[in-house]
Amino acid sequence: MATVAKILQVATGSLSLPGKIIPFWGFTDVFVGNPQNPGPLIQATVGDQLIVGLMHNYIKFIGEPLSIIFPGQENVMVRKIPWGPFIYEPVQPQYSLGKMISLTNYLDEKQDIIIEYSFTATKPGIYLYESGTNPEKQIQMGLYGIIVVRPVGYNILDHHNHKTAYGAGTNSGYDLEKILVLSEIDSIMHNNVRPNVYYDMLKFKPDYWVINGRSFPDTISEDNTSSQPYGSQISCRVGQRVLLRIINAGFQNHTFYLGGLVGRVVAEDSFPLKTQSLDATYEKTGVTLGSGQRMDIILTPTTPGEYYLYDREYHHLVNNDQFPGGMMTRITVNN
Amino acid sequence: MPVIDLWAKDGYLSTPDGNSIYFWGFSKSETGPAQLPGPYIIAKQEETITVNLYNKLSEPVSISFPGQPVVTVGGQPVQPQYSDGQLLSFVNHAEPGGMVSYTFTPSYPGTFIYESGTNPHKQVPMGLYGGLVVRPADYNPNVKEYKTAYGAGTNTEFDREYLLITGEIDPDMHQTVEEGKPYHVSKYLPRYWTLNGRCAPDTMLMDHVDYLPHQPYGSIVMGQPGEKILMRYIGAGIDNHPLHPHGTHTRVVAVDGRLLKNGNVDLSYKRFTVLVGAGQTYDQIYQWDGLGYTPQNPIPTTLPNLRNMGIGDAGWTMWSGSPYLGMKGDIPVGVVSYNEFGEYYFMLHSHEELQITNWGEFPGGMMTWVAIYPSLSHDVGVLK
Ligand SMILES: [Cu+2]
Ligand SMILES: [Cu+2]
Repeated sequence: MATVAKILQVATGSLSLPGKIIPFWGFTDVFVGNPQNPGPLIQATVGDQLIVGLMHNYIKFIGEPLSIIFPGQENVMVRKIPWGPFIYEPVQPQYSLGKMISLTNYLDEKQDIIIEYSFTATKPGIYLYESGTNPEKQIQMGLYGIIVVRPVGYNILDHHNHKTAYGAGTNSGYDLEKILVLSEIDSIMHNNVRPNVYYDMLKFKPDYWVINGRSFPDTISEDNTSSQPYGSQISCRVGQRVLLRIINAGFQNHTFYLGGLVGRVVAEDSFPLKTQSLDATYEKTGVTLGSGQRMDIILTPTTPGEYYLYDREYHHLVNNDQFPGGMMTRITVNN
Repeated sequence: MPVIDLWAKDGYLSTPDGNSIYFWGFSKSETGPAQLPGPYIIAKQEETITVNLYNKLSEPVSISFPGQPVVTVGGQPVQPQYSDGQLLSFVNHAEPGGMVSYTFTPSYPGTFIYESGTNPHKQVPMGLYGGLVVRPADYNPNVKEYKTAYGAGTNTEFDREYLLITGEIDPDMHQTVEEGKPYHVSKYLPRYWTLNGRCAPDTMLMDHVDYLPHQPYGSIVMGQPGEKILMRYIGAGIDNHPLHPHGTHTRVVAVDGRLLKNGNVDLSYKRFTVLVGAGQTYDQIYQWDGLGYTPQNPIPTTLPNLRNMGIGDAGWTMWSGSPYLGMKGDIPVGVVSYNEFGEYYFMLHSHEELQITNWGEFPGGMMTWVAIYPSLSHDVGVLK
């Protein structure tokens, strides 16, 4: 059981969308580095102790209270330097004058240097981490990322959990894994949000739909070192088991369609559907995910060729009202 | 080998509030009307089928068959189509005036959608979609154990079956297309919600009524007490719709054309409401048994006064005047009762109630009836 420590900072940066460059707020794990969307991927193994720190950014600070919540994780503890608490205590919603101002303990950049959240990764799966302070504004501005927790032995060749998402006996064995984070972006909002100024979220009207922070065709570009580092193009061979880890980080529902192919849903919200007593996995051509929901799907293509994976809510397949665009990526199947 | 010809063309839909809406749809023949939804395709498991698409529209059109393992065109698996490096279609398409021929062998029985794979943000809401039903290899409608949705022994026997395809219509968008103006999906705002291409109360009319030439399919669900009624839902629109019938719950036996069963474990489940998601299908068994009340075994209660039963104001009712199936009783003077045979009517509708209006006027939209008759011909509830 190891300790996985990740020190994050929040910074302002710019996102490149087809036809537009807009400001955003994001996490970075490089000291005073450029932020990214989604935030840096945090990877752990069951049993690991996770410490996620959020550090004051002296150079590119936003100036709003900042925090991180960890949906799906239990017993999250917190400490703060230099004003305490110094010893870890359970996270709590924060109030000011009787009004809730944060879903969890937050970093006040006027006085705090770092806030550290800590918890044990107890269950395998994919999880969101996201802002817990002014979340209606901060999450849309880009403050979300993914934690992957893998079963013990997933990377050990002869281990019964080798290359499984949820361990042996859960029908979650895979040859290739791809994390697909769905969200939507309101470019007008991004251009108008100011730190510590109220923004009327009733005006929220997204005009870009993204996978891993990118709109098609940028989704099928390689991973890179930009502020949108994660591509979502997939290449596999016939018969390979592709694990699609789909997570909805946005505010709207999205229907992720498997491009005419049929996949098997092996976990919902990181609960494996196959247990010792019951195999409740099932096959689908597409899945509808509400905000914050996750699904793990195993896709095993049998015919070589190209297939598009897309939001079946077709009005999300455009950039500036033009098809093709938006929430779409591609899988290339080779012989 | 079965061959289905589909012609992509345009036409006009009619809505109960008197609107006439330009649309694109599939037709069974070159001279026939475009229809919404497209013609039902009934195929058989393991039997190769060819679908010829003739394109009479002014832009490329294609058909994708989600859930069918290998669809071929000219002997090769279908592939995305590009124009100047830009994605144009998810699968091979027919140019305007041209045709394309798709061939596939369904390996699974079930309920599937077929829909345009070209400019789908426009062509699918414009009406280029339909339902595909694949019969199990052992299907035999004359033998009870073999009249099933998913094959003998799968607990999917049925007595009658109905396809219910949901959709939405934004009349402004349709007009934009008719006028050849740019189509801005960011302005998408549906004002009509359809079952099998019709808005209530037209949903309650029979199939193939003369005055709805482009909307041939009704969606009234009819059966007898105790019968297993198979309802096949298809979400063809781009929104999700929470559908439920009244009267009893349904048992969901399959989703997206895949039986909910692993090995010997039956994973079917009962639901009051099913959220019909975009592009997804749900097969359910509806079985209404009633409580066996007759005048000889009367309901142990006092019935409310007719005036308190909310009938009469509109001049019509779906109440027979009697609480007993197959009986008729007193109806206020001047009120028309539609219960010709003393049948029961239960609503089946979207529980997102804005969607049971026609442009905001109730009743309308995504709503129909389940009608339970004391006895009913075997010809009713047969998919052709
Ligand atoms: Cu969407
Ligand atoms: Cu209801």
